[in-house]
Amino acid sequence: MIQTVVYGLTIGAILYFFSVGLALTFGTMHIINFAHGMVYTLGVYLFITFLQGVGQSFLLALAASLLAMLPVAWVIERFVIRRLYGESLDYAIIATYGVLLIGTDAIKMIWGTTPYPVNDPVGIAVPLAGMDLPAYRIAVVLSAFALYGALRAFFRRSLVGRVVTAALEDADGVRCLGIDVDRHFSIVFVLGSALAVLGGVLYAPISTADPYMGFHILLLAFAVVIVGGMGNLNGTFFAALALGMVMAVTGRFWSQAANAMVFVVMALVILLRPQEAH
Amino acid sequence: MTFMPERAAFSVQPAARGALLRELALLAAGLLLLALVIRVHWMADFAVFFILVLSFDLLYGYMGHLSFGHMLYFGAGAYGAALWLVYGNASAWAALAVGLAAAAGMAALLGGVVLRTRGASFALINMAFNEIGHFLVQSPLAAYTLGEDGLSCTADPLFGAISLYEDRWAFAFCGAVLLAVYALLRLLTRSPFGLLVRSIRENESRVRFLGYDTFRFKWIAFVIASTIAALAGGLFTLVQGFVSPRVISPFGNVDVIFAVLIGGAGSLAGALIGAAAFLAIKNFLPVIIPELSRLLDVKLPQWELWLGVVLLLIVFSLRGGIVGTVQARLRNRKPAGEAQ
Repeated sequence: MIQTVVYGLTIGAILYFFSVGLALTFGTMHIINFAHGMVYTLGVYLFITFLQGVGQSFLLALAASLLAMLPVAWVIERFVIRRLYGESLDYAIIATYGVLLIGTDAIKMIWGTTPYPVNDPVGIAVPLAGMDLPAYRIAVVLSAFALYGALRAFFRRSLVGRVVTAALEDADGVRCLGIDVDRHFSIVFVLGSALAVLGGVLYAPISTADPYMGFHILLLAFAVVIVGGMGNLNGTFFAALALGMVMAVTGRFWSQAANAMVFVVMALVILLRPQEAH
Repeated sequence: MTFMPERAAFSVQPAARGALLRELALLAAGLLLLALVIRVHWMADFAVFFILVLSFDLLYGYMGHLSFGHMLYFGAGAYGAALWLVYGNASAWAALAVGLAAAAGMAALLGGVVLRTRGASFALINMAFNEIGHFLVQSPLAAYTLGEDGLSCTADPLFGAISLYEDRWAFAFCGAVLLAVYALLRLLTRSPFGLLVRSIRENESRVRFLGYDTFRFKWIAFVIASTIAALAGGLFTLVQGFVSPRVISPFGNVDVIFAVLIGGAGSLAGALIGAAAFLAIKNFLPVIIPELSRLLDVKLPQWELWLGVVLLLIVFSLRGGIVGTVQARLRNRKPAGEAQ
């Protein structure tokens, strides 16, 4: 039972790391950003490559891959996302999906299609209520809670965070105050991309890295963003953990149904929620 | 004077009949030409994809409803037909009818649900249902569908003589269905009903303001588009004699969306040209690229990367797809020409 809960929270934590960036793009620009999956996957592959370079030090490789992905995220924001501002939903989807396809194919070309396993960097199991729980998973869950607290502080206290919070409510209103919303948004976009990379790297020891990992988490993250309320950052956190639990509990009784149950929940939420005017 | 939108909406203008026949002849000639260039073996599959893309164009191009779940209905048609062939009898017609009825029933039910949303929610709720359908076929219904292994099925020859497992007959049959679907959609989109559907794309509130029950028209268009997708699925089953969960996988949706967009959404010719261009990228690049990279002695990226580049090009410089771009060029050259 405790194992199921910890597993659910771990999946939820990873989903949260990934979904923050997606929810931000959704909330400010009304863009379904498929390129997010590419940033996530590329970050993990860079991490695996750096891991060999820095003598298997998990934290050093993580820092290096985060640094390396910042300019990639900036380029995507500057040359694709920013040009999509005010475009219709479908063109934004196509352009970002194009980026995802290019990235996925480049990854397949450089690293091949065979999945890479990554070792558990902690490797200690904590005995809890008669079970052995991997300490690594507990660390992942705790880091998600820490991130939630940090992001709350960031969006309430810092100037960039407050501008973006206001823009999520009413972008035009903020623009009327003479504030360059796009500039602030691009900072937050890069931040969201870095969090996706962080989530991907943290997830790698639990699963394996393969070129299509970004596609799979994208579908689940769409569900998180919809259930949490588009652009609602608190909602994203709780939806990620709740859907992580849905997956873990369903998976415990019927392992093949874990993913499908997430979409059942998502469909119910869309139907039961009053419609947002678009 | 009372205007009766419901009845007027489904009448067909007789004036367009000659033009329609010309277009059908052109389409048939194009298909035959394509069959000469590539192997006939592929033509039935291509025709199936053309039908699927046309059905999606009604939903997305004409009505402006982007769905990530259209493959659910293609898959329902394919699985409906296959299950009938395995557990019912070997009649190809009955199998097609079962596939169509299954998908139409699903679309009628789910349409009442999904059409209450729009925009991103519409796209994603359809994806959710598609994902659930994919799961149902893969796991809970595996006793009947054999899950991941797929289902093999054989249909009797049509009229006792035409075997769909012969490439030429398969092409002829699917090609004929394609022509019929084109004619149907062409009449539908040019009718007042088609005009109404396009008006819903432009501004649904105004259409409702004029006194039309837009939900009913959206529902009708959704059911028609889904049923035509199921027709493509049923044909797929008849021609292939095999279905697996891949036919209902939500990842198939992007192929259809891109085919419509490459050609130009909201025009039947655009959808067909886009489908052909997409099939060319998908089928011929994987053949050409290894040859080319051996010739040039460099490692070249696979087709997915080139598709990605094409997509970015469409969004940032070739808005309107192939057909839209050509139309715009022609219009610039001849400003007096007829504007659409």
